[in-house]
Amino acid sequence: MAKHLVTLTVNGDTYDLVVSDNQTLLDVIRDEVNLKGTKRGCTTGSCGVCCINNAKGEAVLSCLTHALEWDGEEITTIEGLEADGELDAMQKAFIEYGAVQCGFCTPGVIMSAKAIINAHPEPTKEQINAGLAGVNCRCTGHIKVKEAIRNDHRIRELGRGTRD
Amino acid sequence: MARETKTVRETKVGTPDRSRRRPRFEGELGSREKTDLDVIGKRQPRLDGPEKVSGRSIFADDVQLPGMLCGKILRSRYAHARILSLDTSKAEALPGVKAVITAKDIGEIDVNGREPVFASDAVTYIGEEIAAVAALDELTAEKALELIEIEYEELPAVMNMRRALKEGAPLVDGKTEGNLWSDDIDNYGEVEPAFETADYIFEEKYEAGVTHNLFAEFHVAVVDFSLPDKLTLYTPTQTSYLMQHALAPAFGLTLSQVQIIHLNTGGAFSGRGSVRPHHYIAILLSRETRRPVKIFATGDEEFLVCRALGENKYKMRMALKKDGTITAFDMEAEMDGGAVGTEVGYFGWMAGLCNSWVFPLEGLRMRRRCVLTNNRPNFLGHGGLMLSTNAAIMQLINTTAKKIDRDPIDLLYQNAIEEGHTGLSGEWFASCGLRECIETVRKASDWDNRYGKLESYHGLGVGIGSMAAGAKGAFRHDTSAVMVRVGEDGIVTVYTGIPDMGQGTHTTMAVIVAEVLGIDPNDMKVIAGDTDLTPIDVGAFAQRGTIQTGNAARNAALDAREQLTVYAAGKLEVDKDDLVFRGGKVYAQNAPDKSMGFEDLVYKTLHGKEGRSVMGRGFYNSPLQFGTTSWSFGAQIAEVKVDPDTGEVQVLKVWVAHDLGRAINPLACEGQIDGQVYSAMSQILYEEVQTDAGLYLNPSRLEYKVPRSYEMPEIDYHLIETIDPFGPFGAKEIGEGIIVVSGGAIAAAVSDALGGEFIGEMPMAPWRVLKHVKRVQRQEAAGRSAA
Repeated sequence: MAKHLVTLTVNGDTYDLVVSDNQTLLDVIRDEVNLKGTKRGCTTGSCGVCCINNAKGEAVLSCLTHALEWDGEEITTIEGLEADGELDAMQKAFIEYGAVQCGFCTPGVIMSAKAIINAHPEPTKEQINAGLAGVNCRCTGHIKVKEAIRNDHRIRELGRGTRD
Repeated sequence: MARETKTVRETKVGTPDRSRRRPRFEGELGSREKTDLDVIGKRQPRLDGPEKVSGRSIFADDVQLPGMLCGKILRSRYAHARILSLDTSKAEALPGVKAVITAKDIGEIDVNGREPVFASDAVTYIGEEIAAVAALDELTAEKALELIEIEYEELPAVMNMRRALKEGAPLVDGKTEGNLWSDDIDNYGEVEPAFETADYIFEEKYEAGVTHNLFAEFHVAVVDFSLPDKLTLYTPTQTSYLMQHALAPAFGLTLSQVQIIHLNTGGAFSGRGSVRPHHYIAILLSRETRRPVKIFATGDEEFLVCRALGENKYKMRMALKKDGTITAFDMEAEMDGGAVGTEVGYFGWMAGLCNSWVFPLEGLRMRRRCVLTNNRPNFLGHGGLMLSTNAAIMQLINTTAKKIDRDPIDLLYQNAIEEGHTGLSGEWFASCGLRECIETVRKASDWDNRYGKLESYHGLGVGIGSMAAGAKGAFRHDTSAVMVRVGEDGIVTVYTGIPDMGQGTHTTMAVIVAEVLGIDPNDMKVIAGDTDLTPIDVGAFAQRGTIQTGNAARNAALDAREQLTVYAAGKLEVDKDDLVFRGGKVYAQNAPDKSMGFEDLVYKTLHGKEGRSVMGRGFYNSPLQFGTTSWSFGAQIAEVKVDPDTGEVQVLKVWVAHDLGRAINPLACEGQIDGQVYSAMSQILYEEVQTDAGLYLNPSRLEYKVPRSYEMPEIDYHLIETIDPFGPFGAKEIGEGIIVVSGGAIAAAVSDALGGEFIGEMPMAPWRVLKHVKRVQRQEAAGRSAA
């Protein structure tokens, strides 16, 4: 198995990594960078738990892409959303609206949700549904997830996770 | 040659004496007063929310132990074959391989006393474990599996129940006399007389397909058994307690030497209530290598190792009087147990009972035949067999109503039991809001103005149901115990062994304790998920969490409060029974100005003369020897639309009214409703494991269809509180009571959209629905030509 040197920036930190041909971006995030928030699920792109954001803020399934292809790139994982010791508005919205149950898919769902908001700051129902199409959450029935995404902007304005 | 079939086991239970309320309960009854509560009833976000949304939560796959090896399992490619030879020498010689084990290496250990850990002389289903490898990394382990050489002699296999029961059918495992694993009949009340005196008898057949639990977190086990007297297992589970009981004797350990760590469980849906071969295999590999081992099921392997619902076929017969009174049910179920005989027969019994409780029947007969096949061993899915049984019964009632010219919701209301009723199997319903639930959804959905008046392919259906909150059975006890530690700083920590696989039960326990101690649950901590740290808890199944562990939490909090009153009563100079704990303060009932802060009280209790550190303990065990004290009840109405061109069904809206006793945390209750409506819809409309000669045709989350976000209906929630005398603060359950009724309502709505005829297959997938669309079109054409 050939090895390659890859420079990857994860949540603002730059790592020089030795990566094998067969390692996916997911493998590298979990095993080399040692961030475990991005979960390992089906590893075939059908469940959405490994979702991260690329430099453009788009959703990427990290299990479906070779780590090699990410040389010189920047990515954001679930651990990268917090700023100044505070959770991101989307993370707060997920807690407040009860969009979290077992929590296994939650990091992936939140990264999908961030990608929706990055593309459409005040998304329509259709845009939310399209952005969640790759999500296979089995606990919430997606209902409170959608509520959280719709209200993320309100929480951003309030600056904290409180309900009216 | 005809083989002998298993003896039929038949029981008869007469009609119970309904003239008296159950006296043996009376000493246990709590207050039914709907008291004014401070914390309970508020929308409480999950306490572990910040960890879960930030990627900090640790699941078993995130555990990295020093020196940990990767374990992989070699699985059977054949549904039935003799193993002629098994050679692992090449795999053992591969650099990086630390152990290769097969049946001959493990002695007498078996899984749950029921199935082998590894197949030895023959395999009986695709995916059955044959050998396992532990290696330095995943690639090496996979390579080693490829180097294991097996010679098979393929044997004839039986892949469905019809073939399995045919005379001369090949035997599934050669150990039983026939392929019929069990045949049980239970009679309650007066069955035959009810059918003999019935004015109408309606009968339908219903078939439900094979499902997968499809948890978000795959099957995984991380084990450290490198020292002989300490076994540590990290794994998602619904019950660490039952796992300890299975594993300790298998490995010659005491219960305390088996530590189960289930920090988080990524969904369970009735599928994680038992130990499975991969748990044993990880333990055996760790014992062999004296190093920690992780086994993680990959994409399609996850489908092979799953134990969910198999094919189930029902025959339902219902007896009615002219006035619409339902007097008896006769249900027959044929259940595919797969290659290992399981408790499926028992689950069928539960399902039949659960769906007949809601009617004051004269007679109930249930026959359950569990059949062995060369399919994967079956267990339970979300809602168990109760979901499909309810879908059949509610369709039967909705379609019957049309035939006898009655509104189905009237028929259900007329037949719904009320509080104080004694059921045929002896259960006494101390609280029951069934009729209120029916009225609530009837009004909310504007049923009276809409039912029967919708355009073609647009339907409404109504379902009712009930769910036992806890079912004491396997042990003499059904005990949950809870500890409440009051920290010197006034921060209260709850210690509980109940797993939280998403249902929010840890937050529920904190809310209950917070109510008793008058504190803010957001300031509390919950320590759970580690049998070395937490007191005993039988587990999170059979909807026992809120009622059993909730009562234990309440008892533990009361114990802590009692200890705190000693100092407070003296300091405030009031009788300790007059103290109120509320809003972070302790004060006298009739003189609220006589008060002190909770934190201050805790501090002074410790730093006072006595130096008391407050630690509350409580446990709860059902007062019954067997069975249930409390049942939830519910009614739901579903509205659906069928696309006549594609056969696709769209669920537009579901109105849910659920008598849950008391809503401890309405936010979590709504979450439970969402998830169960989703899962019911998923099973009624989509979910089906498709196989060909035992091979999985759709082993991925793309091909095995479940609802995505855009397919979800709107949900209208109504939480009905009846304040049960046994539940903590009157709470019963909202665990699986919803899903069962959603199944019935959605199935009935699809039937209504398709001309009101019974639809006998589940899932109601497009290709099946299209057959019914064609029937409707034929009927419409015939109607037009007749006109």
